[in-house]
Amino acid sequence: METSSKYKIGDAVMVADENPTGNRRTPHYIRGKRGVIGAVHGVLENIRDHRGVHKPLYTVKFDLGELFSCHDQDSIWVDVHEEWLSEAIRDS
Amino acid sequence: MSGKHGHKPFEGHMHDYMAHIKAVEEDLEYYRAKRFEPRIIYLLRRGVVTFYDLLKVRATLKKKDHFFKVGKPQGKNIEARVRYLEEWLDEYVKGIALVSARAVEGMDMVTEDNRKERGDYDDFFKIKKKEHNGAIEERMANLEQDLTDYQALLEVFVQALIKRGWATRKDLEQRWKQLHEERPWAGGVIVAKAWSDPEFKRALLTTGREALREMGVHQGKVGKLVVVENTDRVHNVIVCTLCSCYPYDILGDTPWWYKHESYRTSIVQNPRQCIKEMFRLEIPPEKEVRVWDSTSDVRYFVLPKRPAGTENMSEEELAALVTVDSLIGAGYPLEPAQLREREAAHVEPEMPRVRPD
Repeated sequence: METSSKYKIGDAVMVADENPTGNRRTPHYIRGKRGVIGAVHGVLENIRDHRGVHKPLYTVKFDLGELFSCHDQDSIWVDVHEEWLSEAIRDS
Repeated sequence: MSGKHGHKPFEGHMHDYMAHIKAVEEDLEYYRAKRFEPRIIYLLRRGVVTFYDLLKVRATLKKKDHFFKVGKPQGKNIEARVRYLEEWLDEYVKGIALVSARAVEGMDMVTEDNRKERGDYDDFFKIKKKEHNGAIEERMANLEQDLTDYQALLEVFVQALIKRGWATRKDLEQRWKQLHEERPWAGGVIVAKAWSDPEFKRALLTTGREALREMGVHQGKVGKLVVVENTDRVHNVIVCTLCSCYPYDILGDTPWWYKHESYRTSIVQNPRQCIKEMFRLEIPPEKEVRVWDSTSDVRYFVLPKRPAGTENMSEEELAALVTVDSLIGAGYPLEPAQLREREAAHVEPEMPRVRPD
């Protein structure tokens, strides 16, 4: 499907704290958190699940420690639609 | 007891009847309050069926005209009764699948409607689940009563759909038969093929559903399929923290614990500890754990590592080693010796409850 995705793999992104008009299926625990684009899916049709299409979809990788107080070096990968994301400044 | 049909408790062993009872209680309430009643309420609001249709059907329905035939327990001991409850739950869940959106003409309902209706985004709409207490005798009696009641509503609902002309009895019977057809589980078939055929594995990991189409396996229709591979360095785990997204159209329904709040919360907060406590699986420290949280448009499953000592096995033999849990990252595939042990003990393979439609 035709996509014009704003971000590419490796981009650092911030998830919005709130987005009343955005897709509702953005888990609360990643809101306001920083991650890195891990996969770019573009605009997906999913007609059995919902009507119409959402904005382009990404899988965003979060370090576990960014989200919770767990110290394991593991990661959580979450699917997030574009309207929830903005560019984040990368640590050097 | 067998671990059949996704009832396998994450606590307790095969003969822990209470663990089996708890699994049935959890699942039964899930299907009633999250899958079935929200759907009825959605249709009642829109006049597809009305309360009065249901009452009229109930008043005149004769036993011989029932759509669903419920069997009897094969004995009076606890094991027979627990097995009966598990099988009845399976039938109830298949009954809900029978009246899913696709079965009913003109019913324009998508999964997202059901999520709204059942209160995924608004507590106001949540349907209260029953609490379960007491000793095993009392709990079994309660479950028998609940299943009787829930089954009765399902029965009148199906009858009302037929009466109102939304579905024909013949079509529903045809579909009911399909829901009971025994087929090799697609999860086992796909994974065994990926273990045996590097070309297919590469295609599966890069193109998802496309690879299944080439293979002639039912490729499903729900969202994009992403398969993530377990390696010596990475252990993948799947979850849907918002509800229970899963490639059910290919793999069938999830085990009960996948939908349970305790799993959905703790697997993201502390993955290693969660895997260890719930599934007795200790992920070696040198491996990275990756948790994949699906939000419906992408559906995930794990391609587990091929067990050692299986070099000479055929695809069919390999498929028997693949468990439902291992495609979620909550278990490993069986080793050949484990499979032999299970077969010797007549433990039926673990199978998901509802087949893809």
